[in-house]
Amino acid sequence: MTTLTRARWTPLAMTRNLGRELLPFAVGVAVWQVLSSLNIWPPVLFPSPLQVFQAFIADLGSGVLLTNLGVSLKSLGLGFLVGAAIAVPLGYLMGLNRASRDFFDPLVNLLQAIPGLAWIPFAILWFGLGQGAVTFIIVMSVFFPVLHNLLTGIRTVQPVLIEAVQTLGARRMDVITHVIFPATLPNLMTGIRLGIAFGFRSLVGGEMIASTDGIGYAIFNAQQYFQSARIVVGMLAIGITWLLMDRFILRPIEQRTTMRWGLMRDGLENT
Amino acid sequence: MMKVDVSEILAARGISKTFFDPTFGENVHALNEISLSIRAHEFVSVIGPSGCGKSTFLRIVAGLDRPTAGEIRVSGNKVTGPGADRGMVFQEYALLPWKTTQANVEFGLRLKGVARDERARVARRFIDLVGLAGFENKYPHQLSGGMRQRAAVARVLANNPTVLLMDEPFAAVDAMTRQRLQEELTVITATERTTVLFVTHAIDEAVFLSDRVVALSGRPGRIVEDIEIDLPRPRQWSELVRDPRFQHYRDLLTAKIERTGASAEAHS
Repeated sequence: MTTLTRARWTPLAMTRNLGRELLPFAVGVAVWQVLSSLNIWPPVLFPSPLQVFQAFIADLGSGVLLTNLGVSLKSLGLGFLVGAAIAVPLGYLMGLNRASRDFFDPLVNLLQAIPGLAWIPFAILWFGLGQGAVTFIIVMSVFFPVLHNLLTGIRTVQPVLIEAVQTLGARRMDVITHVIFPATLPNLMTGIRLGIAFGFRSLVGGEMIASTDGIGYAIFNAQQYFQSARIVVGMLAIGITWLLMDRFILRPIEQRTTMRWGLMRDGLENT
Repeated sequence: MMKVDVSEILAARGISKTFFDPTFGENVHALNEISLSIRAHEFVSVIGPSGCGKSTFLRIVAGLDRPTAGEIRVSGNKVTGPGADRGMVFQEYALLPWKTTQANVEFGLRLKGVARDERARVARRFIDLVGLAGFENKYPHQLSGGMRQRAAVARVLANNPTVLLMDEPFAAVDAMTRQRLQEELTVITATERTTVLFVTHAIDEAVFLSDRVVALSGRPGRIVEDIEIDLPRPRQWSELVRDPRFQHYRDLLTAKIERTGASAEAHS
């Protein structure tokens, strides 16, 4: 019945859980190793796990990896915060007010089909080459998925919940804080996830074109020198950063809110 | 001189409702001149064939819908919108999924600004009353349908409404649970001396629960019967089903509704 089975913190259980979480990655690396051992492609086209690991150690030791990662995460974090800080209030305004919805909806619809990366030329003209331009592109990429999902959330709030609290004496402000905000949280979380994912795409693309540092630039640079293993290091750095953000920030928020309230589940096997 | 009944809690005067149905692209005349008076501590059920507008009438009393004509007064005050004096229990429970049983039941008092200790105390009393002791910290999704509806009843009662409105509250639970909830409701409303306006399509349920049953005709709903249910309380299903008076009321109302419902269907 409960969707949230809390793991017991015994050493054995922890090891078992960690094993279960890491298994897919171990299988992935094993398949990768087998494929590279077959020597179908030269290492420059298909670097082996060991080569990538060595490149990882080298980039870690020289500090290049963490410096680039730091630069990228700063742009991503700032871009996400600015994008969400505009999208969230605008979303609630549009969702709760007919006049602002009628006004902003056509504009949003027009702009949301334009990819964040299409803003690169103007981003460079306005902010110059560097992380300022990259951050601007990320803002444009984060904004729309957050807004769109939030609006969907507001549109799907059950009217009966609002009516029920109104017959308990709730005024408009009470309805917003006690019904609309929590009810829209699952969609807001989806918007945030997609926002960050879109942000990562624009980050890498933006840095390749409009910057001289960051992970995207590092990938682009490694390609110029045929350093295939370092390309993979950059790609994996992005993937692992996302995994850690998901595992240690987004999932805990969801487990404490939407999953605890029964609004979201991991899957349908227990129903 | 107009005689004013001081014990009159709720008064509906000439309530009519016409609304536009976008699916059929035509105006629907849902309610026709409903006038009804409910006294303090009275349990009144409104029954009628589906589509007769009984739920619409309840929503108008709640202030969730506006009548096309007529007015509702509760304790003499004209209804202009929803309010805490007319707490409603819905078929879909409508508990807030992000609040525990305790927090849901406390919610109305919290809106009124009642102090934390006081509202916790009141909430516990009503949670006990509906038999949910031990489930204070569960979220709605962790409760069965019957338990959710108990929590929803406690939530409204804790808020001390002038009249408790119930819109087919037991339609979504299984038959066994339904009978238990009905028996419990008669006990609770008797002890709390609650004034209740209850809407259902189930004639048995209306007769079992009520002091008075008002039957509406098919669309547009108008009052075709208004009878006092003279049956002893407390009521138990096991005894009542064998009571000839229960059968009398049920047959009388069934016949009335079948006749008017059928004629309404013939019209449409």
